[in-house]
Amino acid sequence: MDVDKQKALLFGSAAALRLLLFTAFPSLPDVLAGRVELSTPVTSFKRLQEGLFLYNRNVSPFDGGTYHQSPLLLPLFSLLPNAQRYPLATSLLYVVADLVGADALMKIADTGVAVSSRLFTSSRRELRRSSTTIAAGYLFNPFIVLTCLARPTSVFTHTLILQATSRAATGQSITFILALALASYLSLYPLLLFPPLLILCYDAQSSAKPIQSTTSNALTFTIRYTSLFFATIVALLLLSYGLTSSWSFLNAHYLHIILLPSLTPNVGLWWYFFTEMFDSFRAFFLGVFWLHMFAYMPALSIRFRTQPLFVVCALLGVVSVYAPYPAVGEAGLFLSFLGAFRHVFPLMRYTFPAVSSLLYCTLLGPAFYHLWVYAGSGNANFFYAITLVWSLGLTVILADAIYAVLRDEWEVERPDMRGKEVRRV
Amino acid sequence: MFLLRELLAEIRIATAILGLRHDPRLLKLPPYLSALCILVGTVWLLLLPLNEYSRQTYVSENALLPGQVHTYFGGSEHNIFRAYRHEVHALEHKSAEERTEKFVELLKDCGLKVGRQKYEYSSAGNTVSGENVYAVLQGPRADATEAIVLIGAWRNMDNVINYSGVALVLTLARYFKRWSLWSKDIIFLLPFDSASGSQAWVDAYHDAHDPLHVQPLSIKSGALQGAIAVDYPAGPWGHRFEKLHIVYDGVNGQLPNLDLFNTAVNIASGQMGIGTTLQRMWHHSDSYRDRLMTMLRGMLSQGLGHVSGPHSAFIPYHVDAITVQTVGDGWHDEMSLGRTVESLCRSLNNLLEHLHQSFFFYLLMQANRFVSIGTYLPSAMIIAANFTITSIVLWVQSGRPAAPSKVASTSNSEKEKAKEPDLTIVKEGRNVALVPAAAFEVIERHLFLPVGFIATVHFLGLLPLYVFNTAPQATLKASFTIFTILTLVLPHAFSQALARIPPQPPTPQQITLIQSFSLLLLGLFLSALATLNFSLSLMIGLLSTPFSFVRPSKSPILVGLMNLLLAAMAPPVVMGGIAWWFGKDVGELLAQASFGWHVWGMWTQVVIWLVWWPAWVTASVVAIGALY
Repeated sequence: MDVDKQKALLFGSAAALRLLLFTAFPSLPDVLAGRVELSTPVTSFKRLQEGLFLYNRNVSPFDGGTYHQSPLLLPLFSLLPNAQRYPLATSLLYVVADLVGADALMKIADTGVAVSSRLFTSSRRELRRSSTTIAAGYLFNPFIVLTCLARPTSVFTHTLILQATSRAATGQSITFILALALASYLSLYPLLLFPPLLILCYDAQSSAKPIQSTTSNALTFTIRYTSLFFATIVALLLLSYGLTSSWSFLNAHYLHIILLPSLTPNVGLWWYFFTEMFDSFRAFFLGVFWLHMFAYMPALSIRFRTQPLFVVCALLGVVSVYAPYPAVGEAGLFLSFLGAFRHVFPLMRYTFPAVSSLLYCTLLGPAFYHLWVYAGSGNANFFYAITLVWSLGLTVILADAIYAVLRDEWEVERPDMRGKEVRRV
Repeated sequence: MFLLRELLAEIRIATAILGLRHDPRLLKLPPYLSALCILVGTVWLLLLPLNEYSRQTYVSENALLPGQVHTYFGGSEHNIFRAYRHEVHALEHKSAEERTEKFVELLKDCGLKVGRQKYEYSSAGNTVSGENVYAVLQGPRADATEAIVLIGAWRNMDNVINYSGVALVLTLARYFKRWSLWSKDIIFLLPFDSASGSQAWVDAYHDAHDPLHVQPLSIKSGALQGAIAVDYPAGPWGHRFEKLHIVYDGVNGQLPNLDLFNTAVNIASGQMGIGTTLQRMWHHSDSYRDRLMTMLRGMLSQGLGHVSGPHSAFIPYHVDAITVQTVGDGWHDEMSLGRTVESLCRSLNNLLEHLHQSFFFYLLMQANRFVSIGTYLPSAMIIAANFTITSIVLWVQSGRPAAPSKVASTSNSEKEKAKEPDLTIVKEGRNVALVPAAAFEVIERHLFLPVGFIATVHFLGLLPLYVFNTAPQATLKASFTIFTILTLVLPHAFSQALARIPPQPPTPQQITLIQSFSLLLLGLFLSALATLNFSLSLMIGLLSTPFSFVRPSKSPILVGLMNLLLAAMAPPVVMGGIAWWFGKDVGELLAQASFGWHVWGMWTQVVIWLVWWPAWVTASVVAIGALY
């Protein structure tokens, strides 16, 4: 079967699966939309409906105090028919978003930048997986499928991140900037991905064109595209201002992400920590948590200068664990993205235990949430304990992947050490 | 000198352990380890009834003060009770409509606000409909934020008319109305029947009903704090009983707070001198055997997850509830029962907050002995762990190249080992070990077929779930028979398909991976289930134990034996066997399960068809696959 046919089959079956679940179980999307593991206060579809209701009646969507998402989503969704009465159009939008993301992931895999970038070529590059397989790992990832059914707006962020990465990997700088700016505008954390993606884009451009990669060239490139990036974001913010004719969205959307006023449980580590905290320490620890999350970006970008795509992947992992409002969708994106690094899988050591612990959490999380919230026979600690294990499982996978990539790098330097046991000192 | 020797010995041990880590013998261990897990889990369960492992019950919640109040139900109330009993008896042959009218009238006469509610459920082609009557007594000291429910169902779980129970609730309604001490509202509920009436009522009370089938409630009170159902099916001339049977199981194995049960036992035996019993153990001699029997009956009822009385429907809504049932011939009369219920209501009336102090997860083995979750949970978890252990081992095995020689396992002395050419030096800290290089080799695992197969089998489980929950009762038995045959044939069909359809027949590695994933999922589901419904998890775990031990084999005799054993353990066969053992018709049982699914929200079926059945199919495919 040639690649196009495979792709058509894959995309067709992924879309069919999603549409089947949407139509055969009409109450399922609404049940999933209410699950704290899938929807967070800043992405929830139910809150989007609330904002949309206010927006369509010419009231500021932020007046209700429940809508904490981007104002630009509202005109998009108000074009669609009512999601309660005609859910198909909305479902189609989300299915298409997933497919566009998978398409981008295939393009990333086709460039082969995961195994051989401008400055680095892995010794295991023959162990590549076909782009169709990687896309299948994304489209049939249960976390991604569930997230698609729950319809949080983070689906669009994921698609845009994947698009931005694929554009950067192929050196299409303008579309990369636009996609990433839009993603950052929607969810804020994609800002972290800008430096590694810029490096990726620079590498792609300079290896494609016969231009000299000099410091001054790099500097011009950085300044040009950084200013373009921020200019795009400012333009989007101005557009939002024009749409709602007030700056209240800054407060309701971005400050809601930064200051963590909503302590609704989620699969992350922040909510429980901040429910237990005395108010006087809150500002300090908010700073610490953000600093911690931010700190990985420069560190990874510098250490993995030669493999910027892996930095993006690792940062997605960091976000899925340490973001203020993470959901399983972020973890799904990270795990699927990791599929592009098939060549280092043989070097990973704890895949089975880590994946098993994630599977255990997938079942025990909802069970303990049920015991806490519905049955009343458990308490918040039950659920929190499971989110800790979940975060641990993801962290182990992340750390293991970083180890594997480092080891792979090292074996390029010292081919004689291939296959030998090593010990960290 | 001594220290040095010590150090050397330590190094030697550590090296030995390190060498052992890659010893092929280590991979032979897990079947024994799995068997040990199952053994420990079972023995653990059998130890629970002993004095050393179970505990005396106690009331944790201070506010309950069981039996500390004087009860005044007596004297002339007895005459009123007898009058009501005759009124109720006279309704026996009246139509449902007339009966409801009469109840409304009687409750109105007590000076209470009365509401009524019609409902109609359909499942397995049958329709159940009825009308509930209820009345709200507004507590003189209450602000309508909390309420207690007193239930007298017209028919009890055995479908016998509950004359005296209903009469007692009516008498108590009249009697309670006179008291000024109620600090919670009291709701008197007369459901049409035990299995569905109170379910319809409590669903509507929490606005969780389906408006197409169940009417909403016209009057409501505050949050429900507790519910007590009275089951006293004595006719118009009364019947003196011996003991009170306290029923406490809820839907899906959820239990009420242990404090409520303890309060009931405490009041009945301490204050009133009435013996109590549980789980239909009419004669309990406090021996090990009786305790174990009580515990196992409790687990069976919890595991099946069905409704055991009109109280069961309340428990999923986090309303602690019990049914008090009279049993035997003795000398306790209706007034003692009335005073017990009065005292229970007074205790609940004292509550300052929702019952939360005591245990929600427990196994009772006598009215005053229990084990809590910390003590019993390990048994189910250990049994679930055996699947995970086997699955991890199979995963490791699947990554090993097919064993080329037996040299490594037979050569024991270190000298011989050193001569082997393919050895690697392993250093860990200051320890050095020599191990065969093959131990480090990990071969490529082909995951697509195993994952696809597991997903398909689990997806197929939806079919019986759908069919048995929607088919009409008349066809249930036939479809069950057909399904049993299909189930037994399915592994052979799968093996044929696996051997013929893909580009090449599955490799031994893929078969190992199929089993590994199936057992991983089974372990996963069972340990998650153990936190929700311990007994069901334990039962399915025990019934699935052979799945850990089946291995592909080329010997037709061994395969035949495994196949036979597995066929005997097939979920439909086991279900048919259980139905036969209890002398029940399978079709009727399935109809009841379907009723439970639609009305009570019971999900035992989900566990059977989506957890147990796929695991069985996979194990059978693994066992017979090599023959095709």
